[in-house]
Amino acid sequence: MRWNRLQLFFTYVVLTIWSVIVLFPIWTLLINSFKPQKQIFKDPFGLPDTFTLDGYREAWNTGRFDLYFINTIIVTVIALGLILFIGSMAAYALAKWKSPVASFLYVFFIAGLMIPIRLGTLDLVRLIKALNLQDTYWSLIPVYVAMGMPIATFVLTAFIKELPGEMFEAAKIDGASEWQVYSRIVLPLMRPAMATVAIFNMIKIWNDFWFPLVFIRAEESRTVALGVSLLFGQYRTDWTRALAVLSLAAVPMLILYVLLAREFIKGLTAGAVKG
Amino acid sequence: MSQTMLNKSGSAGFLNPKNRLTLTWVLFLLPALLVYLTFMAGPLFDSLRLSLYTGEGYNPTEFVGFQNYINLFTNPLWREKFINAFTNTCIFFAIHMLVQNTLGLLFANLLSTDFKGRNFFRTIIFAPATLSVLVVGFLWTLILNPQWGAVNKIFMAMDLKQFALPWLGRENLALPVISLTSVWQWVGMPTVMFLAGLMGISDELLEAARIDGASEWDIFWRIKFPLLKPVIGVVAILTFVDNFNAFDIIYAMAGAKGEPGYSTDLLATLFYRTGIAGEHPVGIPDMGMGAAIATMTFAILMTGVLSWLYFSRKQATE
Amino acid sequence: MQKKLFGLLSLLVLLSLALTACGGGAATEAPAEEPAATEEAPAATEEAPAATEAAAEEITLTLGSWRVDDVAAWEAINAAFHEKYPNITVKFDPTNPPDYNATLRTQLETGTGPDLYFVRSFATGRELFDAGYVASLKDLPGINDSFTEASRAPWATETGEPYAVPIIAVSHGVYYNKEIFAANGIEVPATWEELMAASQTLLDAGVIPFANGTKDAWDINEVVMMQFIPSNIGGFEGRMAYLNGDRCFNSEEMVASFQQIDDMQPYLPNGFEAVSYYDAAQLFAQGQAAMMMDGSWSIGAFEKDATDFEWGVFYPPALEGKDTYVTFHIDAAIGANAASPNLEAAMTFLEFLESSDFAGLLGNNLPGFFPLTKDVPTLSDPIAADFMAFNESAAGVDIRFVWEKLLAAPSGSVDAYTSLNNNVIAVLKDEKTPQEAADAFNADLAAWYEPAAGCK
Repeated sequence: MRWNRLQLFFTYVVLTIWSVIVLFPIWTLLINSFKPQKQIFKDPFGLPDTFTLDGYREAWNTGRFDLYFINTIIVTVIALGLILFIGSMAAYALAKWKSPVASFLYVFFIAGLMIPIRLGTLDLVRLIKALNLQDTYWSLIPVYVAMGMPIATFVLTAFIKELPGEMFEAAKIDGASEWQVYSRIVLPLMRPAMATVAIFNMIKIWNDFWFPLVFIRAEESRTVALGVSLLFGQYRTDWTRALAVLSLAAVPMLILYVLLAREFIKGLTAGAVKG
Repeated sequence: MSQTMLNKSGSAGFLNPKNRLTLTWVLFLLPALLVYLTFMAGPLFDSLRLSLYTGEGYNPTEFVGFQNYINLFTNPLWREKFINAFTNTCIFFAIHMLVQNTLGLLFANLLSTDFKGRNFFRTIIFAPATLSVLVVGFLWTLILNPQWGAVNKIFMAMDLKQFALPWLGRENLALPVISLTSVWQWVGMPTVMFLAGLMGISDELLEAARIDGASEWDIFWRIKFPLLKPVIGVVAILTFVDNFNAFDIIYAMAGAKGEPGYSTDLLATLFYRTGIAGEHPVGIPDMGMGAAIATMTFAILMTGVLSWLYFSRKQATE
Repeated sequence: MQKKLFGLLSLLVLLSLALTACGGGAATEAPAEEPAATEEAPAATEEAPAATEAAAEEITLTLGSWRVDDVAAWEAINAAFHEKYPNITVKFDPTNPPDYNATLRTQLETGTGPDLYFVRSFATGRELFDAGYVASLKDLPGINDSFTEASRAPWATETGEPYAVPIIAVSHGVYYNKEIFAANGIEVPATWEELMAASQTLLDAGVIPFANGTKDAWDINEVVMMQFIPSNIGGFEGRMAYLNGDRCFNSEEMVASFQQIDDMQPYLPNGFEAVSYYDAAQLFAQGQAAMMMDGSWSIGAFEKDATDFEWGVFYPPALEGKDTYVTFHIDAAIGANAASPNLEAAMTFLEFLESSDFAGLLGNNLPGFFPLTKDVPTLSDPIAADFMAFNESAAGVDIRFVWEKLLAAPSGSVDAYTSLNNNVIAVLKDEKTPQEAADAFNADLAAWYEPAAGCK
């Protein structure tokens, strides 16, 4: 009993220290975005003496953040949907198809994790231009879907391989086609693994500013990450605005995360409950 | 079984069952393969080809065979840059492997028991991963600032002036400090993955061990750790791949040159400077050499991943 | 319900299949055309006419730049141009400096570049011209009359064929806090020795003498070291002696410049290794440091931030017995994209850049960026006028030391900029003595620059 209390005490101490380390910088970011520049430097960690919304006003007026958010959400949602759908189909085939072709393709997909995609930038720009997608956010979707394939096949194939084989056999004896086995049995079971894939890709897609930078010039097609990187450059000497811009990019994501955190972590960890 | 299959896939009815099954698998794979080939493998492969060429700009046309590779390893300047970047990348990876994954394992272990506030801590630990690397890099640069950063103010207040250092300005400090910043951001990833693994371990097993009088320490090393091995493998390989390709955090905190004095230059920043951006202030890219550096990075990663696949399969069959 | 979802998803997949199928075909064709000079119009120019529904003459040009800080000023300049040429609209579209070269290059090579863009001087711009991405300006009326040969040279071939219109030069100096100087009884120093003595007084009084740091590396090189060199070597003539091999790059003049860096070291902030360029500017603007060596481009930022005290500028004085030479660096030019479908309109804009109207707009909207036209407009900003006054009182004016010829190092060797930068920082970190640093600088150059290898 005493041991348990000691352990609980240790748990709280460790986790509280880490929480402070995590929250303190985020606090600094938010609190300073409401201070005039001079005060940021004189007292970077206290509450604002004079509260100002100038940074936000300026950032919102200069950058079309409402548009940037909508664009980014459209791109992220469609790309994620496609990654999960075609990635899981491919993973199912890679896991169940007993053929050297499947083994080869598995390695071929995973190889994509290992080369910086920036290397292929020039070919991609040409491709996007040939498709007449340059300067639109649609140009980002096929690239992000392709970028998502390695991690999707890697995680999902491993997951399907772990599923007990009897389940598939039983379904097939009942007369189900591979498509039905996939859509009715595997897909629902894969949810936790899909959540992992979704999170990995969502973070990458949401934060990517390289492809928007080379594909997109038009204001109306910009994404949040691109808008932030441009405005951030513009405001380097004006910390109030720079921090406001960074907060504008970070806070919606944080709120979304906090709201969904329970579901999200449940999704990530649920897969293991089956034992 | 073959009878029902025939009915379900009419278009393939003329094929024998084995071929029909192959066709099914091909159809399952086709969309992924097409997107992947067109928008990733194709462009990347085409770019690797460029490592055999030289010339200015992104489309070098003069074929030089393996000259870029020869230069990379025989020209003292290139060799020094490459070895420096490679060493730094290894250190960067090692810090993540040791610190990030150990912390992840610790947090996951603490969070796997039930106590008040568990959800709160779980949420906090993963939160930085939702921030953009740009935001994280900028924030920590502010906090580590030698003049008005919190870290040094705290050391000064504690009368530990000797610890109030220019964290991002010393060649021996900058890389570990940036690595730890990155650990701060990403520690939630291994935590969540380990947590999933730990929750898969049956409670009866742990209870039985406790009733037998095993300490928590023993339970961790004797029961949890062995059962977590497959998860540890996956976490390790993802850490390896992610960090050998790391670019953003260095770019945000130390610039594309890996300041100070190239002490934070990684393979990805070296590639970016050589092949994409060119060195300040000239800025003329040498795509051929850049592609050679990327190919070497690829070879290193491929060796690592293939040997992991080999060993994990061997282990699985044993 | 689930079926509907799958129907929708399969539709998406079909769409993406169709998309990738087209893509596959295009991928193999596209490279063959490259780098065609008459590629399609950039999207920005396509959209504008459609949006306004106006006559076909309505033209929108994009102007690419690395000057993200100057959006407002360029919008004013472009508005003035639009007033004069109502059918042409110019849209200023900057990219962050570290990304500029890479994105511009990508866009040019794939035919999606802006119609007009800022061209960097010497080797970098020249390479774009040789590759055919910048239009030749040999037929642009007035370019030879509006600018001196020295201004045109960084963007012209050996035969004098120009390919970009020079627009701005920048100067450099020491920004100083007049109140701190007065409080410590310090006058603006006339020699280097006086400046060092003043710095010691400030340090003893508990003030940071110089705000400069080395985290970003480029600033210590461009706004500090390259201000010391001209006075030590004797300006333009001196520089030519190095370029021709009449002097070695480890000559006593060069050692003296490294020595000045070494002299300054005790007067930099604590932890100067981690002080970035923007940190330094803040240290000065907050009144925590008495001086900062910086470029004229920072006038605007300091006028906005350093409002609590009086401040001014002086030029870094020469060593005792030496004349002062000023670094007045010809920094940027604008060129036209050779593949632009609106080349004619772009040329109209370039011609506008030669006018005194533009020079006045630039000089007064962007204090600290000096127009290069022969007839210089009066500058309303007092600090900008002070910078211009340096040029008159100096024994001579020259561009930064390493820009001409010394940047184009072949692959696998170190260019003069990088070598100088590394050695300056090595001196500041006490890793090299000034003599060792100068020797290393000379050795790096001798490895590829022939006059340096055979110098006397």
